[in-house]
Amino acid sequence: MRTRLLRASIIAITLGLASATAIAGAHQYRLRVDGLACPFCAYGIEKKFNATKGVKAIKIDINTGTVTVTMEAGGALSEAQARQIVKDSGFTLGSFQTVPGPAGKAGN
Amino acid sequence: MLFSVKTPWRRAGHALGLLALIVMTAMGEQAQAAPQTFNTALPVAQGEFVFREQIVLDQSGDDPSVADRDRTAWALVSVLGYGATPELALFGVVPYVDRTLEVTDGGMRQRRGARGLGDISLFGRYTVFRRDRPGRTLRIAPFAGLKLPTGEDDESDGLGRLPQSVQPGSGSWDAFGGVVVTYQTLAFQIDAQASYKANTEANDFEFGDVARLDGSLQYRVWPRELGAGVPGFLYGVLELNLIHQDKNRIGGSDDPNSGGLSLFILPGLQYVTKRWIIEAGLQIPVLQDLNGTGLEKDYILRAGFRLNF
Repeated sequence: MRTRLLRASIIAITLGLASATAIAGAHQYRLRVDGLACPFCAYGIEKKFNATKGVKAIKIDINTGTVTVTMEAGGALSEAQARQIVKDSGFTLGSFQTVPGPAGKAGN
Repeated sequence: MLFSVKTPWRRAGHALGLLALIVMTAMGEQAQAAPQTFNTALPVAQGEFVFREQIVLDQSGDDPSVADRDRTAWALVSVLGYGATPELALFGVVPYVDRTLEVTDGGMRQRRGARGLGDISLFGRYTVFRRDRPGRTLRIAPFAGLKLPTGEDDESDGLGRLPQSVQPGSGSWDAFGGVVVTYQTLAFQIDAQASYKANTEANDFEFGDVARLDGSLQYRVWPRELGAGVPGFLYGVLELNLIHQDKNRIGGSDDPNSGGLSLFILPGLQYVTKRWIIEAGLQIPVLQDLNGTGLEKDYILRAGFRLNF
């Protein structure tokens, strides 16, 4: 019984640590930008994000209004920060989602 | 008998016009898809510039009077916009113009004209309503501004002072304002604008006030299906312009051969990519109910580009 409890505790701690590591390592974000409907407008958003410190790459799918932001290693983007950048570009942030796992694998 | 104007003012106008174009080209960073004959309510990102260049050929003729007037006006119009806030955009419009008028007088054909920096306009546009949804937006934006008397308005040639219709500038300070509404989706864009321009007097001459209603439909004809990324859009464009101008006033009296109502239609094309736009359209008169012997327009040809730097 004691061995079983010990094993369960080790598994729980391991899973918890793994989950925390995944969140800390996440540096890709998927945003839905509402109001985006033309290529030139897309460039305005791209420019604003590229001017943001820590942003490594940005990919826009105009058909879905999705903006995928990849940060430099260790970089992070908060929802408030993303909302402000999108607002300054003249649009509205519809949703903000953190893409877990190594950039480019889970997100694209 | 041909006359042309050669003055230091004209040369200075050329230099200023070129300088303005160079400066504006250097400053241009971003631009928006928009109608070709009027404005749009689409945003200018905060702290960013938009730039647009358009060449316009305005041809009038088919004069029933014995003067057999024929007027040709070229304009190179540069527009620079700046996003002061996400809602407030400030614009400067700099035209460089070349205008000629041919008339028959006493059996002699005369050609008169001038070129140079035209009247600069400055205006602000404020978005008062915005509804953004996935892949679409609806915006309403009033605007107001001032046309400055920066163009030369006292050009003359061997026959004397040039007619007001070919002077590069009006010499007057004119206020204008209106409201523009834009509904844009991934498939099409509709713009509508109502505006009024109150012209004032200069050199004992006053152009009639102008009231206009404009509408534009841009329809994406290619690609039919959107894939990943940001592909270029080819739009078919159809614009309508209903323009009413009051009679001009000369020496305090109405000119009976000026002003009237016109309706234009513009079919055109616009190719929009992430970094640049090219566009062209031909503005054709559908209705011209002009006062007296007012000179009718044959067509207005527009072509231009916009660049993102």
